[in-house]
Formats: sequence, structure tokens, C-alpha cells
Amino acid sequence: MKGRIITAALALTALVAAGCGSSSSSSTTSSAAASGGSSSSTKSCVATIGIEGPFTGDVAVLGQEQLAFAKLAIDMDNKANGTNITLVQGDTQLDPAQATTVTQQFTSNSKMVATVGPAGSQEVQAVGPLFGRAGMAFITGSATNPDLTKSGKNPTFFRVVSRDDLQGPQDANYIVKNLKPKRLMIIDDQEVYSTGLTSAMIPIFKQAGIQVDHESVSQKVTDFSSIVAKVTPETTVVVLPWQVAANAQQFGKNLAEQKKKATIFGTDGTQSSSFTIPGSYVSAFGPDINSIPADAAIAAAAKAAYPKYGTFGPPVFAATHVIDEAISSVCKSGQTPSRANVLAAVKGTSEASSILGQPIKFDSHGDLIGAKWFLFKINNKGQYKLVTNT
Amino acid sequence: MRFFIQELVNGLTQGSLYALIALGYSMVYGILKLLNFAHGDLYMVGAFVGYFVIQWFGGSTALTIPVPLLLLFMFLLAGGGVGMLGVAIERFAYRPLRDAPRIAPLITALGVSFLLENSMLLLFGASFRDYNTSAFIPFSSGIHIGVLNISLTRILVIVLSLVLMIGLRLLVDRTKLGRQMRAVAEDREAAEMLGVNVDYTISMTFFLGSALAGIAGVMAGLVFNQIYTLMGFVAGLKAFTAAVVGGIGSIAGAMLGGLLIGIAEAMISGYISSTYTNLIVFGILIVVMILRPQGLLGRAPLQKV
Amino acid sequence: MSTEQTPPAAEAEAPQGPGVGVDEWVARSSGRREYAPGRLGEAQRLLERVPWWVILLAAGLAGACVPFLTTNDFQLQIGINAMLLAILAVGLNISVGWAGLLDLGYVAFYGFGAYGYALVSSNQLNPPAGVHWSTYISVPVVMIAAGFLGVAVGWPSRRLVGDYLAIVTLFFGEAFVEFTNNVAPSKLGGPNGIVSIDPYKVFGTTILTNKGYFYVLLVLLVLTVGVLHLLDTSRTGRAWRAVREDTLASSLMTIPVFRVKLMAFAFGAAVAAMAGTVFAAQQINVFPTDFATPFLILIYAGLILGGAGSLAGAVLGGLILSVTLDGILRSPTEAGYIFYGLILATLVVKIRPWARLGAILGATVLFGIVVHTIVKAISPSAVAGGPQSSGWISDLVHNWVVVPSNPTRAGNIAYVVLLVLVIALVQVKGRWRDILMVPTLYLAACVWEGVLVAQPSITRQILLGVILIVMMNARPNGLLGRRRVEVV
Repeated sequence: MKGRIITAALALTALVAAGCGSSSSSSTTSSAAASGGSSSSTKSCVATIGIEGPFTGDVAVLGQEQLAFAKLAIDMDNKANGTNITLVQGDTQLDPAQATTVTQQFTSNSKMVATVGPAGSQEVQAVGPLFGRAGMAFITGSATNPDLTKSGKNPTFFRVVSRDDLQGPQDANYIVKNLKPKRLMIIDDQEVYSTGLTSAMIPIFKQAGIQVDHESVSQKVTDFSSIVAKVTPETTVVVLPWQVAANAQQFGKNLAEQKKKATIFGTDGTQSSSFTIPGSYVSAFGPDINSIPADAAIAAAAKAAYPKYGTFGPPVFAATHVIDEAISSVCKSGQTPSRANVLAAVKGTSEASSILGQPIKFDSHGDLIGAKWFLFKINNKGQYKLVTNT
Repeated sequence: MRFFIQELVNGLTQGSLYALIALGYSMVYGILKLLNFAHGDLYMVGAFVGYFVIQWFGGSTALTIPVPLLLLFMFLLAGGGVGMLGVAIERFAYRPLRDAPRIAPLITALGVSFLLENSMLLLFGASFRDYNTSAFIPFSSGIHIGVLNISLTRILVIVLSLVLMIGLRLLVDRTKLGRQMRAVAEDREAAEMLGVNVDYTISMTFFLGSALAGIAGVMAGLVFNQIYTLMGFVAGLKAFTAAVVGGIGSIAGAMLGGLLIGIAEAMISGYISSTYTNLIVFGILIVVMILRPQGLLGRAPLQKV
Repeated sequence: MSTEQTPPAAEAEAPQGPGVGVDEWVARSSGRREYAPGRLGEAQRLLERVPWWVILLAAGLAGACVPFLTTNDFQLQIGINAMLLAILAVGLNISVGWAGLLDLGYVAFYGFGAYGYALVSSNQLNPPAGVHWSTYISVPVVMIAAGFLGVAVGWPSRRLVGDYLAIVTLFFGEAFVEFTNNVAPSKLGGPNGIVSIDPYKVFGTTILTNKGYFYVLLVLLVLTVGVLHLLDTSRTGRAWRAVREDTLASSLMTIPVFRVKLMAFAFGAAVAAMAGTVFAAQQINVFPTDFATPFLILIYAGLILGGAGSLAGAVLGGLILSVTLDGILRSPTEAGYIFYGLILATLVVKIRPWARLGAILGATVLFGIVVHTIVKAISPSAVAGGPQSSGWISDLVHNWVVVPSNPTRAGNIAYVVLLVLVIALVQVKGRWRDILMVPTLYLAACVWEGVLVAQPSITRQILLGVILIVMMNARPNGLLGRRRVEVV
């Protein structure tokens, strides 16, 4: 009986703590970035921004990379601009319902002025109206579903990556014109990103008279040998619009194991140092940041912070940088960084160059103007060599 | 026909791993009636141990010791280490709940699973790690007849799992420890009265079951190359399925269930459709369960009145 | 009603394990009620005289005050999440707690409700006009359909028992996610889900705000608990428990065992589907991933933490789990309170007498000061990291914990050592345990300030795991669960 009273008391305390606690959550900031040493700046420019991503769970590999790059961007920009921006993380596990909760945590926090993320298109669909109501800008580094900007439901949404309906056809047309397969296999991973690209590509292949084998495998699967066995000798190209680069690597190993000669064509999700099957093609939104001299410092810092980064980090760096610059410009103009100010500044963003190897400017829907498309081929040493870009 | 054999081998590889994990599930269940949901995570830890052994000896491309020796070290360390971890988990999390209602340790097991997965995430990061097995066991070794290609790694995995399963069967059937395990599984209190050291027996059961999961983890690394901190969740669920379908508590049943699921998956994605693989597998398993309510090789539970 | 009091010590030190003698049924109805000594016991006795519906209404009214205390959308959302989880836990309690049927596909009924509501309240079917039923029609229809689905899923329980039934229901749960993700993408939306779902429209008003859904859920929760309480005390409720305790005996008593089991499935499914419709209406979109196994785990954890078999326990468990997970653990500072609070609470509960507790705490403080001084003298950079949290706890431990300026590597080692120490603590006894406790406590603080605070998302999951383990060890029957006497 005593035990029960004590536990009941503890439970009550927890609830009360929750009640008092969550009201004080608005004052919660992580001091990690604050120690950057910005006290020397004449007028401190203090702001809090949030980041939403899958930091745990099945695709933590994606979210942790994004988190590392966002932290990196904040640290570098705080030093460069003399700002004091802190980052609050909200884990969504790529689950729209959790993203809804996290978004309200952010929008209810009066200090929060903008958000990086969320990572998935479904999540953006779920939280777009909430951010819109709060008038808070949010920039994703990986949600590529065209509806997000087309539908007009997400007025404060921006993205620094291309859309599926741009990338898909570009990939498909390149394959049709240059690789000229008679028969190809395309495998989606049953996620939004993948099915979107797949449905954009298949009609183009069919129109070109290519025999298409459409397969589908959950991204949690780690062995692809039973699908690889279905790759026929005439199949010369396997298209993998996947999010998890390591899975594409294993697919390549399975191909080699079964002595299949097909070439892998991966989309941007597979651009990573985890995917190094020689002879494969990988399309991407940005150049390899290692190949841009101006990015050398970032690349080195990224390597130190997150050794095996791929395609998900750099766009988040760019997105965070856009917000950092927006806050800094608001401060420089003598105003305090509020949500409205920052939103206006983000809308007016015009960066001549970025980590993504292209200028960053948004159209009225929040899409990137003049989104570029890069294609790499992996050489025998596993390095990415630029084939073409538009 | 060769396509069939190819898919059969693919299914057998995956199935042997399911079976090895399922064995641990089944042993623990048999003795404690506990669904140890953390079991899949022990498999993940095993895979990581194996990976670090490779790194310790120079990495996959520059090994400093012969390959058979490396494999031996991997299996021994992963088996032993994960076995010890299993024993520690039992002592820490399950022993205090041994007489609690059956559903309580289920939640503790989930807690242990969260703890293991996220501790590994904290310690080693979210990146996938690559065994890169083909660098030290080339694909050219193995069987190659026309379109039929079976790598040495797959053969190794299938043969070794069979050896382990037979070994375990012998251990349970023939040794004193095995008799004690069966006695405790049958009736713990009676076994205790007859002088069986129950705590010791349960610890050993956890050790053996966990060691098998650890070894399965290394095998998964060898065949599937990519390992990550959440790989245990799906594998654990499949193994749990295998254990129940085979008849939970039955060692041969767990083996049969694991192989059945592995082969069914490969055949369905090979012959019917990869999109609906899981749906069809579930359908088949539901039919199996309805036809044989106590599992394929399970005994109908004794009704104690 | 008996006034006889057994000495409280007997209960406190009662051995774990199946007892012999009085079974739950007898204990509930007569004879063996125990009360705490003194005033507390009198209060308890008084409380028991209050009719159940008064307590329920009072709890409902207390809940209704929450939106007057806060207008913060995040806090209301936590309330919504918590009540959804509570309703689901209460529904799961029917099959798991009362009828003793392990249903691992339960989350699919929730998904079925959400998808069902979404399909008849959006433009998904029959575009472009879509199908838009009134809330009064769609919710009952979806609930009834879910009830029939529950009967279908429960059908195998005719022959399957225990874990074999569990696995078949697990297949069903997994199949639901696979189905919505892959089958008929033009109708069910595939991974893109269904978006732009109509909100609830009741009493002529369209409910759009969190506050509105808070009240909707509160009303539904109170109603559900009320109806289920009536059901629990009815013939059906007794039949469920009879089937749980002994299927054979209850069929001998002419209880239609199979029909009773199907009823448990059907009622549970209908309750879950009801929660699903509110979820869909509040989120205004549904996706297959919302109904995957991880959420099922949460429902189970909520029910069992609260105490399977007890309605109040299920509600409390769902509320506590959800509030902890979404409200407290998402913020590093408050997660810190939980972390230190959990350690202190464990110490207070486990260590007697007070002098011993004081000695251990004092020794820990002293130990920290000594270690900090020594390390600082040897290498100043080894303490340069300082605590990474903020707030008063951070200020308090600033010159006490050792956190190197680059804590990653050292922190990882410390974390592993901490885990090993904690396991070792459980093994050793007596004085050694007290001695070992000191460095363990100190290391825990260092690891928290050095590693865990810097990774709030991962720490949240780790703490969830630890809370589950600790709570179940502290109360194997859940917070409000009763120890069931198992007939051996």
C-alpha cells in the first residue's frame, strides 16, 4: 500500500511538473551555440530557430546528418555575423503526427522565429498550415513533393531542393537518351519521395518504348538478392530512387554477387559516401561540396562533424544559412528579429552562390528559382565524377 | 530451374538468420514465458561487434590476419560478448519480474530495446557501416553455373547456421544443462525442489540464446554488408513470427519457421510481386496459424485445471 | 464492508508471486480490503463511498478547467495526444486487461477509424466533389464497421490462444500498414496518405481549434470510461474476467466463450476507431506511418504502466506516458528534472533508513568535489566543458561535474562505464552497494551534463526506455493495477 501511495505521488508530481514545465518551455534554449563567443559584437542579435527531422528511428541516418549540418551552419554563421542564434531540435521520426506536435511546440514558443525542416513531404503537408497560421518561415532541405508548393496551402514554406516533377523527368530523359536501355528495372522504396519520382519517370520510359519492370521494396529491407535475381540479361539499367544510400550500395553488391551487369542509376537520395558502386550514375541537386574550392572550409568541418555525409546535409546547411542570413539582415537594419521580419527577409533572399553550387532565390510559391540538376558517375575508386549539369 | 534454386538459396540465407534469432526467442520463451522484444537488438549489437573486429584487424581491405582466423574472432567475440550482455539484461531487467504478471516483463523488454537501440545510436551515430565482405571473401569464390550464382559467404552462413542449430538441439537433448533447461521450462518450482539451480539455468539459457543472436548479427553483416542501429527491430519481429509459427518453445519449430518465412519471402518477391511480398507472407502465415493453432511443430498446450 | 485492518507491514513486505487463498473476485467483493493506517485510511474509506460517476464527473470537470489555465496550442496538443492515448489504452484494456486476449493488431483499428473517417470526409473518393458525410453519420458508421472488423480479426480466437492469437493479430496490424501504403494508391493515397479531411462538425459548429478538440476528446473520454464501467460491472464484464481466468471453467458455467471473446474485440475496435476519427479530423490528414508498430508499443506501455484491468489505471497510464513523452522529454531542461528526479526518487524509495541515504548523498557530493579538484589540477581542459544544460541545476553542479571541452569520446566511454556500474550495482549487496553507489551517482551526473543533454532527441528515447524498465520493476502490476492472485 505504501508503495502505491509513493508511486501515485510520484506520478502526480510528474504531471504537475509537466504542467509547470511545459509553460516554461518557451524559455528553454540550448546553450551550445551561445558559447561561440559572440559577446564582442556591439549589439547582440539574439534569436532562436528550430529544426525538425528524424533524429531517431528508422531513418535517423538522414536526420542526424541534417542535424549535424544545421549545427555546423549555425556555428559558422554566428561567428561570421556576430549573431547569437540558438538551435532547438524537435524529433519527428519522419512521422507526420509527431511533426504536428513538434510544430506547435515551436510555434507556441514566442522566441522561435523560423524553422529548418521538416524532412519529409508528408510532414510538410501536415504542418504547413500550422506554420502558415503562426506566420513562421520554414525551409526544408529534403521535401520534394510538387504539391507542397503548388497547392498554395503552405504560404510560409520554402525549399532549397528541386521538385520531383523536375528531377524525375530530367533523370528519365537522360537515361532514355544516353544509356539507351531496351529494358530497365525501377524499384521504389515505398516512401513518398520514391513513389513520387517513380511515377514521374515510368511514363517517359514507356513512351520511349523501353520495357519497364517496376518493383517495390520497403526501405527497411537489407537484402535485395531475391529482386536482383529477377534482373534479366537484357536489363541494362536499374533505377533506384531511394533515400537510404547504404541500401543502394548493398543492391550493387547483390548485383555483383549474382554476376549481373546492369548499371545502377540512383537519384539524389543515394548521393553519399556510403554509395560507391563503380560505374553507377547518381543525379543530384548540388555538386559534390568537396569539389567547390569556396566550400573547402565547410567540407572539412563537415567531414569532422559527420564523416559519412551524403545528400541530406548540404541542403540543410543551405537552408539554415538562409535563415541565419535573414536574421542577421533584420538585425543590421536595426529591427528586432520577429517572425514577420524574418519571413520577409527569407522571401527576399538572394544569395549569389551557395554550398549547393548555385544562387539561392525563391519564387512566390517558395520553390527555388533555377534549380540545377547535376549528374555524377562513380569511378573505379568510388569517387563521384561530374558528367553533366544543367 | 536455376532461377528457382537461386531464389531458394536467397531465401535460405535470410531464413537461416531468422531461424537463429528465432531460436533465442524460443528458448527464452520456453523457459520464462517471456516475449523478449529486446532480442532483435542483441542481433544488432552482434553485428556491430563483428564490424569492430574487422576494423581492429586493419579494416576490410587491409586485413592483418588470415580470413578464417578473422571469422573465428568475429563469431567468438560477438557470440561471447552478446551472450554476456544477454545475461546482464536478464539479471538487471527481467529477474526482478520473474513472478510478476506475464505482461509486465513485456514492457520491460520494450524498455530494454529502446535503451539498447538508442544507446548504440548515441555511441556510434546513425551512419550505416559497411562490412564490405567482398573485399576479403571475393564473389568469385563459391558456385557459379550459368545464371546460378551462390557466393561462398552465403554457403558459409547456411552451413554454419545448420551446424549451430544441430549443436543446440544436441545440447538440449543430450547434456545435463539441456535437461535442466527442459526441467525449468516444464515446471520451475518442481525443478527447483529437485535441486536444479534455476537462476543458473536461466542465465545459461539467456547466454546461449543471446550468443546465437550475436552470431546471427555477424552473419547478417557478412551477407548483407550494411549494418545500422535499428536493424534489429524488423529482424526481431520476423524472428518472433518464425518462433510462433514454428510452435513457440520448440527448437525444431523455430528453425522450420525461420526457413519457411525466409523462403516464402524470396519466392514471392521472385515469382509474384515484390510490392505485395509482406502482405502475401502475412496471409500465408495467418492460414498456417488457423490450420495449426499450436504452430507447425508445437505441442498443444496442456490445460491445467 | 469490513473494518478489519491487517497490519500494513504485511502488505508492504508481502512476497512477490502468486499468492494462495483468496482470489481477486473474493477480494473485490468482500473481506479483504486494506486501508492505510490513520487519516489516510479514513480518507480512502470515505472515497470508496462516493459513487463512481461522481468521481468520473469530477475528473472530467477538472480536465475541463485545463483550457482556462492555458491557451498555449502546444500544451493543448499534448492534452489531445494524451487523451487519444488514454482512450486507446482504455479500449485496449477491454481485450487485454479484461478478457485476457493479447491483441497486437490493435493499432490497426485506430488506423481503420482514421482512414474510414478520412475516406467519407474528403475529396479522396469520387473526385472532384468527394464524399462528405455528416459527423453524426460518419463517426457511428465507422465505429460499427470497426466493430465488425474486430469480430473478423477476433475470429481466429476460436481456436488460437495466448501468443498464437497475438501473432495473428500482429500480422493484421502489420498488414494494415502494408495495405494502406501499397494497395490502390489512387483511393488510399499510398504513402502520400489522405489530406484535406473535413474537421468535426457538431452542434452546428465546425471544430477547428485545439481547444475544441480538447473538449471533444474530454467528452468522449468521459463517456467511454462511463460506458465501459457499466459494461465492466455487467454480466458481460464478469464473463470477460471469467474467460480470462479460466476458459474451461467458464464454458462449463454456460458462458458462450467464443461470443464473449468476439465482443471484447468488437468493443475494443469500436473505441479505437472512434479515437481514430478524432485523430483524422484534428490532424486533417492521415498517413500509413501514423499507425505503425511503434505507436502500438506506446498504447501497450500506457495501459500496462497504468495497470491492465483497471479503467482508471489505463486512463492515468495513457495520460502520464503521453505527457512525459511529448511534454517533458522534448525539452532538455525538463528532461533533466526527470533524470535527476528519477534517480532521487529511486534512492528515496529503495534506501532506508534516512541516515544511510544522507550518508550516500553526502559522500557523492564530497566525491565530486574531490574528483573535480584533482582533475582540474592535473588538466584544466578536462573540466573546461562545464555542464551543457542550462538552468539552476546547471549552476548548482557547475564546479562539481567533470566535463572535458570536447566530451564526445570521453563521454561515450563514461556512458558505457555508467551502464556497467548500474548493472554491477544490482548484483552486489550490502556495504559494497553503498560504496559503489557513490561513484555511480557522480558518473551519472557527469554523463548527463556531458553527453545526454547535448543529444536531446536520442536522450528522450533512452529515458523512455529507462522509465519503462524502472516503472515496471517498481510496480509490476502497473500504477493502479491490483495484484492478481493466479490460481496455480
